[in-house]
Amino acid sequence: MAPFGDTIALTGRALRKYFRNPSAIVPGLATAIFYLALFGNSFNPQNLIPSSSSSGGSALQAFGGAPTYITYLTAGVICLILVFNMAFGGIDLVLDRQLGFLNTLLSAPITRASIYFSGVLQNLVKAMILAFLAFGVAFVIPNGLKLPAGFGILNFVGIFAAFALLGIGLSCVFTALALTLRSIDSLVAIVNFVTLPLVFASGALFPSSSFPGWLKEIADVNPITKASEAARLLIVNGTLTGSNFWTFANDLVYLVVFAVVLALLGYMAARNALKAE
Amino acid sequence: MQTKQIAFDMTVNGNGIMISAQDLVKIYSNKVKAVDKISFEVREGEVFGFLGPNGAGKTTTIKMLTTLASITEGRASVAGYDVRSHPSSVRQSIGVVPQELTADEELKGIENLILSARLHHVPSDVARNRAGDLLRLVDLEGAADRRVKTYSGGMRRRLQMAMGLLHTPKILFMDEPTLGLDIQTRSKMWEYIRKLNRENDLTVFMTTHYLEEADSLCDRVAIIDEGTIKVSGHPGELKEKLGGDILTIEVSSGLDLTSFFQGIQDVSDVSKKDSTYRITLPRTEKALPAIVQGLSQKGIQISNISFTKPTLDQVFLKITGRSMRDEESPAAPPAWIQSA
Repeated sequence: MAPFGDTIALTGRALRKYFRNPSAIVPGLATAIFYLALFGNSFNPQNLIPSSSSSGGSALQAFGGAPTYITYLTAGVICLILVFNMAFGGIDLVLDRQLGFLNTLLSAPITRASIYFSGVLQNLVKAMILAFLAFGVAFVIPNGLKLPAGFGILNFVGIFAAFALLGIGLSCVFTALALTLRSIDSLVAIVNFVTLPLVFASGALFPSSSFPGWLKEIADVNPITKASEAARLLIVNGTLTGSNFWTFANDLVYLVVFAVVLALLGYMAARNALKAE
Repeated sequence: MQTKQIAFDMTVNGNGIMISAQDLVKIYSNKVKAVDKISFEVREGEVFGFLGPNGAGKTTTIKMLTTLASITEGRASVAGYDVRSHPSSVRQSIGVVPQELTADEELKGIENLILSARLHHVPSDVARNRAGDLLRLVDLEGAADRRVKTYSGGMRRRLQMAMGLLHTPKILFMDEPTLGLDIQTRSKMWEYIRKLNRENDLTVFMTTHYLEEADSLCDRVAIIDEGTIKVSGHPGELKEKLGGDILTIEVSSGLDLTSFFQGIQDVSDVSKKDSTYRITLPRTEKALPAIVQGLSQKGIQISNISFTKPTLDQVFLKITGRSMRDEESPAAPPAWIQSA
């Protein structure tokens, strides 16, 4: 009971701060627009590969039946936004340590777990808000996201369930990291070193089927591939049947395991990081 | 929760000792020995001051007592609970006002108080009432609904103090409560601390490197330097140990008056430089008339006379062989105070 209330109180503080400063949302939204509108157009295979047929359909053959490249890309860009925001969300936690706020928490009668879980939760909520906004951006830009006929609310829920599971796993890793590190510089260094390779070695931006063997092997176990694949299946097809459904279910199970394992590992690391010095 | 049971088992509470430290040692992981075998006791209702230059081990001691730093060796109990074995009971019994200002700038004053209450599991209706009382106490009623980033340095310190008190702790730990404040704001803070101590019977453990602060505020002080306690006691007692007030007399006479001064009752020490004498007087009120009378009977004119009360600075100087003022670099207030 009390640990739950502590987690809510701490998460509430962080989110209240976040919403009081709406400009905090701008960089995340800019990433969404840049990747969808600029990357989505400049890297569009339909433009890159001059096609013999005027429809250009052949250029998107490997793209799981997506009608436009941005339709394919949307799920991947949202995963990328989740990665970046989880990673840099840790800065607030490092600041909490540097400014002494963490010490006031540690000398208060709250469980150490609530400090960790509130970190996980606050970053998750912030990033999911951006995920929703990015989905909207993809929808409104010209030649953007095209949803299939019969796309319903349940499909939408399924898409964001996949994102949320990826988000939980990532949030746990980066929260534990942020609680362990003492300086923003080292956090930024690690984040820069980790995030882009993680995204590029996944099927987020291009289908992994076109990758060389060694890279495909990495991409196929990358949780970003699983989340973007699961979300994309629903975005392209709407309600799933047959093998598509089983691929989706398989991805979701993979992501649940990913989230649970990292939540536990993150908790152990965080508990160690929050020990008395 | 077994806290009740523990309180009965450990009867330290019964004899009015709120903090007890026995041979506390702290060695950080980088092998730095920040605190080296210190022992002291703080009684209920006392304002106890830890006085020392920067880096003396004051903050480390507070960190150990407030469960933020592990104890390398020795034992400590706070509010009757062993710090090492019952950290969460200790946390429930103490309020901490850290050196850094941790109130959230983006939140209003009242929101910071309510958050602090929630983190100490104070029911929200109780918290609102108490927040109102505390805001009145520290004169922040008018600013309760303003965001903390609009507060001055002094207001932040006062809010920080209120945040440490919402759950009515038995002991309040304050690390440099007036650091970076101007002299007027500082004396106002002293007033609040006195009021709290008097009206709520609150035990206060504070660190400071301002001698006048320790002198004016603390019932007892311990002077800590290089990780060890050099001396402790009532500020008045410590100053008495210096032997009393210092009288400086300059006379317009070539005669050596040393033996004359030594002959006067209640003069404990006389030193001479040219025609100026430094005389130590344990009881100034008795010796001074005798000195003046004696000199006028001899027909010797006093050309200059001055008299200083001993200060804690002199106590520090005598004990450590150096002045605390030399040690302290001008305390730079944290950046967010400067910008406020």
